[in-house]
Amino acid sequence: MATAAKHRTVARIWAFTAAGTAVWLASIFLAPWLASHGQTMASRFLYAVFAPLCHQIPDRCFHLNGLPLAVCGRCLGIYTGFAAGLLAYPLVRGFSRLSLPSARLLLALTLPMAVDAGGGILGLWRTPIGLRFATGFAWGTILPYYFITGVADLVRARAERREARRLEIAAAKK
Amino acid sequence: MTQRPEYFRPALIAGIAAGVLSGLPFISIGNCVCCLWIVGGAAVAAKMLAAASPVLLTTGDGAIVGALTGIVAAVVDALISIPLRPFSLGLARRILDKAGELGGQMPSGIQDALNRSGGFLSPGWFLLGLLVSAAVFAAAGAIGGIIGLSLFGKKGQPPAPPGSPNAA
Repeated sequence: MATAAKHRTVARIWAFTAAGTAVWLASIFLAPWLASHGQTMASRFLYAVFAPLCHQIPDRCFHLNGLPLAVCGRCLGIYTGFAAGLLAYPLVRGFSRLSLPSARLLLALTLPMAVDAGGGILGLWRTPIGLRFATGFAWGTILPYYFITGVADLVRARAERREARRLEIAAAKK
Repeated sequence: MTQRPEYFRPALIAGIAAGVLSGLPFISIGNCVCCLWIVGGAAVAAKMLAAASPVLLTTGDGAIVGALTGIVAAVVDALISIPLRPFSLGLARRILDKAGELGGQMPSGIQDALNRSGGFLSPGWFLLGLLVSAAVFAAAGAIGGIIGLSLFGKKGQPPAPPGSPNAA
């Protein structure tokens, strides 16, 4: 794929992912906001959307207008970390370079959350919500670098297959 | 034509395993840690795909097998959650009661959360939940598949399809 076309493709994937992430994050805050403004059904719908993904225990959630957000502090950290990583993507990687982060970096950013969550599940400690958010945030920042690279590669492979088929048909016609 | 990897088998095996773990009472708590079972299951599917594939795989292949694993897991999770739902809630309530008797401190609001999830599950809410889980599990699975392939896949540049502009 030509460099300019590749650049455009990655930029488009980045923009779609950023738009989706913005909607996702907004929905998390919208659930309690709607409830506090009397929109019970819409609020219930949004809480239900996030229910399969998070325990939603109020004590472990940040609050808006006295009501818990639609996900817990750690999940919010992961999603905002994803958004932050996504915002930094054009500066860190640019749209013309596609490569995956190193395994060491992945391990370094995963370990704090794994230790925090593992200890919590085993009942060894109870970390404050701020720390849960921070460890989730750290892990979330690396995820867009996998996601964008993978989806861009998928789009590139499809385009190449289509082009190969077109050339095959053209060659058969000659 | 280039040979395409066989995605379905690893996605099905890992997806069923991830779905069962996501649907079982208490074990499913793993998913509260960054969709652990889904991301982990997708990574395992990518490892299986890399081990079985004669061709060099790309990150896009990891994304496909991971997303398929997530979708299979969402369906399996939804199916096994239905019969296990009353049991899971009952078990959680018993543990809460026991913890209360022993003076253990549980997060406040957990009782409300249990009551909320104990409500009647209409087919509409069930389908909505399934659709949302499938979409999110597919996205989480895609990331898991790419991570899995980056960790366990064979290294090197995959060959360009014959006849394509990038082919040698």
